[in-house]
Amino acid sequence: MPTSAPNSSRQEPLLEVAGLSAGYGKIVVLRDVALTIGAGEAVALLGPNGAGKTTLLRAISGLLPRTGRVQFAGRTMAGAGPGDTVKAGLVHVVEGHRVFTQLSVFDNLLLAGFGLPRSKLTRQVEEALSFFPEIAAKRNDRAVTLSGGQQQMLAVAQGLVRRPKLLMLDEPSAGLSPVLVDRVLAAMARLREAGTAILLVEQLIEKALASADRVYALARGSIVLEARTDEADLPNRLEHAYFGQDVSAPLAS
Amino acid sequence: MDVTLGLLTNAVISGLLLGGFYAAVSIGVAISFGMLDIVNIAHPAFILLGSYVAFIGNTVFGIDPILAAVITLPAFYLLGMAAYQVYYVAFERRDDQSLRGLSFFFGILFIAEVTLTLIFGVDYRSVQAWYVVGNLNLYVVELPWRLLVPFLLGMVMVAGLQVFLSRTFIGRAIQAVAQDQQALRLMAANPARIKRIAFGLSFATAALAGAALIIIQPVEPSIGREYIGRIFAICVLGGLGSFPGMVIAAVTLGIVESLTSTFFGPSWAPAVAFGVLLVTLAVRPSGILGR
Repeated sequence: MPTSAPNSSRQEPLLEVAGLSAGYGKIVVLRDVALTIGAGEAVALLGPNGAGKTTLLRAISGLLPRTGRVQFAGRTMAGAGPGDTVKAGLVHVVEGHRVFTQLSVFDNLLLAGFGLPRSKLTRQVEEALSFFPEIAAKRNDRAVTLSGGQQQMLAVAQGLVRRPKLLMLDEPSAGLSPVLVDRVLAAMARLREAGTAILLVEQLIEKALASADRVYALARGSIVLEARTDEADLPNRLEHAYFGQDVSAPLAS
Repeated sequence: MDVTLGLLTNAVISGLLLGGFYAAVSIGVAISFGMLDIVNIAHPAFILLGSYVAFIGNTVFGIDPILAAVITLPAFYLLGMAAYQVYYVAFERRDDQSLRGLSFFFGILFIAEVTLTLIFGVDYRSVQAWYVVGNLNLYVVELPWRLLVPFLLGMVMVAGLQVFLSRTFIGRAIQAVAQDQQALRLMAANPARIKRIAFGLSFATAALAGAALIIIQPVEPSIGREYIGRIFAICVLGGLGSFPGMVIAAVTLGIVESLTSTFFGPSWAPAVAFGVLLVTLAVRPSGILGR
């Protein structure tokens, strides 16, 4: 049962999604999804496996065809492909820390700014690297020599090269040890302070709630919960949303 | 014993030089098949086109065959871009690559071969240049210029393309498109545009390879077919996506073919060559330096 929370943002939201449906061929995964993200907000998108979180990000960034309305920074993104979406300032970092393993860290970042004029590109690549000093030190090493956590940082840094207004991260913690996860989330916190809005899809509920201002829960293709992360009783309500009923063992709060 | 050693040395050296030539003819497919996953089985037909262009340049205009090929490089590049565009619109965009795309290129192969036969006939054609006859004398060995020049041409082509791929922005983009197209789309790059450039380059190599071919041997339209198997065997043996691997495979094949030719007769050469391919793949399925 959807629970709405008061939207703290007084101005026009940065990202507005309404009535979005998407799927893979005949399989409909998302039904009538709506969400908003304000400028500079960090929003977590939680949900059980198979709920459609990755599909939702793909539909928003234009990798998948969709029906419904997506409005970003005041512009209608109807029919926009991933290239147009990126140029508008909405960057999607896919799951699985996929980087170009045969290229160096620096080349990976240069490619992320495909099409930008050279001087601007080098400056923005340096800016992106400044968020991740650990991989800045390895800028000439081939990406295949980086650890999983470093590759994930590189993938996020690639997203930053375009100076996005909104960065969508799909399970950045997947496959990483807890220490590395904290490092990636710390980098994310620095991004927030710098004013970038973030949409974080995560399986680690506690860490996601700690990093975000608001949370949406997606289950079986629809939004079932929307709340601020400082609201009371959130873990219980999430559990309810995930399973649709009360479960005997409560989530850690 | 002395004679055999002499024959052996000769065969190995000829094989080495032949391998360099094989690298020249295979580099185009190393790009289109090894990196872009496009089974351009028609590549030998365009190598032959390059040979005939060199032939015309040489007999009609009196210019050096390699120079003639270099002059027509832009035309081959544009032709490659056009061919990719057709392939993309007809097959790749609809995710129809594998079988129908292959038959598309087969069709082009036959059309090209028949067109060349209609225009030039089936007589063997060759070129005149100072390096078509004569040997380079290096103390104990004599290197035929006829083999040495194509070898050098092949090495220059491979080195040049390797530098291009690793030092230029577009070169890196081509390496990236070979690895992860979806990631590139999310970086506002158009994979189709990058592949088009790479395919154009692949065709451009055919021009130079054609010049090398007509230097090594007289050509007529149907000899392209002899090269289809060799080229793909070399690319697979070397490991798709690796230029150094392809060169090693080309040289290995050249030496094996040359040795077999010298000691067992020329007709055994292709069989032994493919035997080497099968054995290598059984031991190392991804090829010599495959990733």
